[in-house]
Amino acid sequence: MSQIVSGAPAAQSRPARPRLSWEVALRLGLLLIVIALAIVFTLTAPGFLSPQNLENNERQMAVIGILAIGETFVIITAGIDLSVGSMLGFSGILMALALSHGIAIPLALGAVLVIATLLGLFNGLLIDTAALPPFIVTLGMLGILRGFTQIFGNGQQIGFGNSAFTDFAADNFLGIPQLFWMLVIIALLAAYLLHLTRRGRHVFAIGSNLEGARRAGINVRGVTLFVYAISGLLAGIAGLLLTARQAQGDPNAGTGYELDAIAAAVLGGASLFGARGSILGTFLGVLLVQILTNGLNLLNFDPQVARIVEGALLIAFVYMDHWRKRRLATA
Amino acid sequence: MEKTAATAIPVLAARDVSKRFGNVIALQHIDFELYPGEIVAVIGDNGAGKSTLIKILAGTLAPDSGTLLMRGKPVSFASPRDARAAGIETVYQDLALAPDLDVPANLFLGRELRRPGLLGLLDVLDVPAMRARAAAHLDALGVKIKSVDQSVDTLSGGQRQSVAVSRSVFWGRDVVIMDEPTAALSVAQSALVLNLIKRVRDAGTPVVLISHNLPQVFEAADRMIVLRHGSRVGTLDPKVATMEEAVSLMTGALTAPAAGS
Repeated sequence: MSQIVSGAPAAQSRPARPRLSWEVALRLGLLLIVIALAIVFTLTAPGFLSPQNLENNERQMAVIGILAIGETFVIITAGIDLSVGSMLGFSGILMALALSHGIAIPLALGAVLVIATLLGLFNGLLIDTAALPPFIVTLGMLGILRGFTQIFGNGQQIGFGNSAFTDFAADNFLGIPQLFWMLVIIALLAAYLLHLTRRGRHVFAIGSNLEGARRAGINVRGVTLFVYAISGLLAGIAGLLLTARQAQGDPNAGTGYELDAIAAAVLGGASLFGARGSILGTFLGVLLVQILTNGLNLLNFDPQVARIVEGALLIAFVYMDHWRKRRLATA
Repeated sequence: MEKTAATAIPVLAARDVSKRFGNVIALQHIDFELYPGEIVAVIGDNGAGKSTLIKILAGTLAPDSGTLLMRGKPVSFASPRDARAAGIETVYQDLALAPDLDVPANLFLGRELRRPGLLGLLDVLDVPAMRARAAAHLDALGVKIKSVDQSVDTLSGGQRQSVAVSRSVFWGRDVVIMDEPTAALSVAQSALVLNLIKRVRDAGTPVVLISHNLPQVFEAADRMIVLRHGSRVGTLDPKVATMEEAVSLMTGALTAPAAGS
């Protein structure tokens, strides 16, 4: 056998560290920022640590967190779902209408979630089969669903006076709001699906190399439909929870939430280029967005300041990710 | 594994295969055969029909006429998936790896192992088993990578191609087709991959090698099939033939078929 080769691989191989350290640094950095912010607000913002404020944060975080978890699945495939905020509003108004017409909770709940899942599937179908850009499909859906939400709600809040439904959002379990428990359960299920299963591995694979995944025999259509259906379903759940919490259907509910969901996922390490992201990271991202919004609020900043900071952070993180990707490509 | 070409049945063969695209004749009445334990190179100038032949063997294209045989039995492939199911794996020059995933994830891409028992029913990946099998497989093929936990995009070009080649052997027990496996690689990295290809052959999987690089073909191949204008114009033994002979066959300066094996 020829000997030309010996030594070449060792000489050419770069250390295994870069990727791992990047991921760990990102996660740790995020955790440090969250802790630092919490400390700053504890010291400066009156009532930041009050039980009332913590519970409010936990409830609000549950809604955004569930949206962001669905968004994480989509972003890892290198897709995007801009329709989550409208999907949330649409599901909420449907639920409020159903309850106000006296439909039983389980039936209404099941029907709304089936509809949200089917709408998510429809997003996925257009993206996979018609090969349309996810950005366009879900932007269109953002408009369509918001339009229907306004029409169904007739532009007004819809009350339904069903205490069993609203109690769920108001009650605590083991001293923690039930809404937050919902987030925890969904996060655990999502982490299992995304990080432990074969299906989850395929989500990463098609985000890394769509054509390669197809050639390797991965059911690309199935995975694409799966992630958009998950995103639709979770947006539906978030819509139900927000409606329960507000004790009414609000046709404007969820407006602009796509920014929160995408920002939380991206701050948590999900890459818009695909194949990167985690449920834990997204959870930390949601925590960051929530603490930031709440802290600035308590400090009497204009509520819009939080959105400005959030938008700027989103752009900065995507820029950093772009830089990482380019450095790898040229290395 | 003795190579007695006189008696051996080709693992993969094409008989009288033709293919045209509109008015362009890509292949006319081509015979092709791959025997057990050999690396056969398909060489020819641009447009000679190399890639058409390879696509037919890999199931990407269907021939207009002629038959494909695996171990003497006629087969037909409607898709690359069929060819893969028959035991033919193809390594394309544009890598089909997932760069963000680690080495075991790539070796098992689309064919991941599940845990036994209940966890398997829950679709749970068997990460330790895949890791161990991937490491053992790369070891057996002599592919040296610092750690299989590296994502593929942190590997050198040659290592990446080695992973792609290793993956094809991992699954393609019968035939591996390599389409320009060294096209994008430096000299040292090419040598790494060529050496791996020889080890693949020595481990019992015959290889079809398509390459523009004649010195590499002479270095690695056991037999060379020369195509020109869609016809097979000769078969060369790299141990006997010279580079000049090969070039003149490819360009048509020499028309007489040279000595085979």
